[in-house]
Amino acid sequence: MRPATLFRLAVAGNRTDHLRTALTAASSALALVVLLAAATVIAIKNGESGENAHYASPLLAEPGLRPGVIAALVLLAVPILALAGQSIRLGAPARDRRLAAIRLAGATPGQAVLIAGAETVAAGVIGSVVGLGGFLLLRVVLERRNAGGELLLPTDVLPSVLWIVILMAFVPVMAGLVGALLLRQVVISPLGVVRRTRKRGPWPWPGFLIVVGLVIFQLPAQIKGIDVGTNRWAVLVGGGVALTTIGVVLGTGWIAHTTGRLLLRFGPRPAMLLAGRRLMADPWSGSRTLAALLASVVIGAIALGYRIGLVTQFEAWNRYNAQTREEQLGAGAPEGFYTGAVDLIMVAVGIGVTVAAAGVLISLAEGIVARRRTYAALTAAGVPGRTLSESVLWQTMLPLAPALLLAVTSGIGLIRLTGTRVGAPSNTLTVPVPVGSLALLAGGAFLIMLIATGIGLVVLRSSTDLEELRAS
Amino acid sequence: MNTLLQGTALHRAYGPTPALRGVDIEVTEGEIVAVTGPSGCGKSTLLHCLAGIMRVDSGSVRYRDQDIGLWSESARSKLRRTEFGVLFQFGQLVPELTAGENVALPLLLGGVKRREAQKTAEEWLDRFGVAELAGKLPGAMSGGQQQRCAVARAMVTEPRALFADEPTGALDVLTGEQVLGEIVRVAREKGMAVVLVTHEAQIAAYADREISLRDGALDPTGLGLRTRA
Ligand SMILES: Nc1ncnc2c1ncn2[C@@H]1O[C@H](COP(=O)(O)OP(=O)(O)O)[C@@H](O)[C@H]1O
Ligand SMILES: [Mg+2]
Repeated sequence: MRPATLFRLAVAGNRTDHLRTALTAASSALALVVLLAAATVIAIKNGESGENAHYASPLLAEPGLRPGVIAALVLLAVPILALAGQSIRLGAPARDRRLAAIRLAGATPGQAVLIAGAETVAAGVIGSVVGLGGFLLLRVVLERRNAGGELLLPTDVLPSVLWIVILMAFVPVMAGLVGALLLRQVVISPLGVVRRTRKRGPWPWPGFLIVVGLVIFQLPAQIKGIDVGTNRWAVLVGGGVALTTIGVVLGTGWIAHTTGRLLLRFGPRPAMLLAGRRLMADPWSGSRTLAALLASVVIGAIALGYRIGLVTQFEAWNRYNAQTREEQLGAGAPEGFYTGAVDLIMVAVGIGVTVAAAGVLISLAEGIVARRRTYAALTAAGVPGRTLSESVLWQTMLPLAPALLLAVTSGIGLIRLTGTRVGAPSNTLTVPVPVGSLALLAGGAFLIMLIATGIGLVVLRSSTDLEELRAS
Repeated sequence: MNTLLQGTALHRAYGPTPALRGVDIEVTEGEIVAVTGPSGCGKSTLLHCLAGIMRVDSGSVRYRDQDIGLWSESARSKLRRTEFGVLFQFGQLVPELTAGENVALPLLLGGVKRREAQKTAEEWLDRFGVAELAGKLPGAMSGGQQQRCAVARAMVTEPRALFADEPTGALDVLTGEQVLGEIVRVAREKGMAVVLVTHEAQIAAYADREISLRDGALDPTGLGLRTRA
């Protein structure tokens, strides 16, 4: 296919297609802004004394805290990029008809996916350009100094041109890849677009992945010679977190399958039968759609565990200092200095959860729209709208509860296995489990998903339109 | 025979497009009525109005002497679930449910116990010659098999009236005739009234009476000419 043809076919479309393009572009722009912000923090050069006194916030001034800021920003970009890719599923019916028509006209399945992917990449490129403009604008607008003349944000440095170019290309390509990956479940045939549901049952090894992740994460603390901040340390810690997160995400497939089986077995209501069968028919849809959400929650739980460790450590030093009436021992900086960095990560987690819920909403709406004909026929046959809404609610929220529990437990377990005793000389304390804040994290994620599902149900109501019953 | 359904001066428009322009129709208990006419003449609209799926703009639809146009959506929904059966051309089976579960669904909604519903569903599948499909998903069946399951589901509650909108339109001629023959046989056996929409004259021949529509109104040239009963 010639590039010009590809472009022509990719930009053909109607109003929902434009909405999809706009959403893809907007989330790509946002992702680029966040990534450029991270690159800006990377670009801060250390001053002569090792720190940059001309920034108001220690998060920017302290070289030791900047990696936390960078990590938080990069983390934040992940669900936003996922959202950009997930937008490919928005307004599916019209696009599906177009893709089917293109197949009917002789395109291969690969070409059809390419066309849909190209559409996302094109929108991502628009987003990249807008995002760069927005970033440059923000730099000017946000250039502020406090009373002491210190900069509030690093508006005095710019990422190198190479970084900018790389990120501007990275964003659309990632969005396109995520989109193409999501399209793998649909078969674009000349007669229409069929969703492929995987027959294969859930794998047995997500639990194994979680355990391996937990073990790897502990290694730096157990093996001598792996110091904090070295490359080996970063690989082990990062790898441990990544494996655990993947384990949780894949474990959700198993959870969905099992809840489906239990619903089918014990659920007395017809809505439970519908929900249970759908969960069992495609247990992986939960993993796919919830991946970003669960990853955010795992990271959040780790951050909360780390934070309470810090707080307890300070508590121990404070007690020690009170006993010895000496002030010079222990951490030199105020407590808020360190917890501030963790709180920043928690803000990123909060935004991540919200963005991930928006992604879930898109796939929920798409799933409902894809089944609109069945829903319309069921409504015509007298199945109450209540029953259909209830089945969607069971199907989304029931597996979510244990999945969130697994995510929170894995995240906190990761931190707590490294040790729960901290302290100063002659004064060690046990780090408590931050039950309250963990419950808030999981409960918040659950609530946001409940809201997203509620909005999805509005889509369901309008999908039972009789229009769909007309024989064309 | 008693009147089961009575539509009087039915009007219905989609925005500026009139689809029904004053149609009168009466269906007695156990009667099989074919509604024919060219594509776009308002057959589906008439069927949807009679079945209470859609409200009329003016005129009245009376079911056993009650004006169902005055009923709430949930009351009509219940009516469709219990007293009526509906059948369309396609897209009626829930793809994730087995054939048996699909057929059992209306019974479950009516509060019948799972096991009992499943048993009744299997009996109905057997009646249409597809008992061996009970555990299969719709995706693994042929079009004719799917439609037989859909028929079983529409009839499993033993409704007083079956509304079928070109139920064999998506099947090949031979299978279509077989399925239709089975619908008519079971309907007569159970004393169900059937409103059968079709644009094929051959299929209309299965009915007791044929009503022709043209441009949203009764076509007098077709009316009664083919009455057999
Ligand atoms: N949802 C709709 N919106 C607008 N026009 C419609 C709609 N449904 C049907 N119509 C129009 O109403 C008329 C009757 O349609 P229909 O009852 O489906 O006819 P039939 O079933 O006989 O083919 C047609 O002109 C059709 O175009
Ligand atoms: Mg029609």
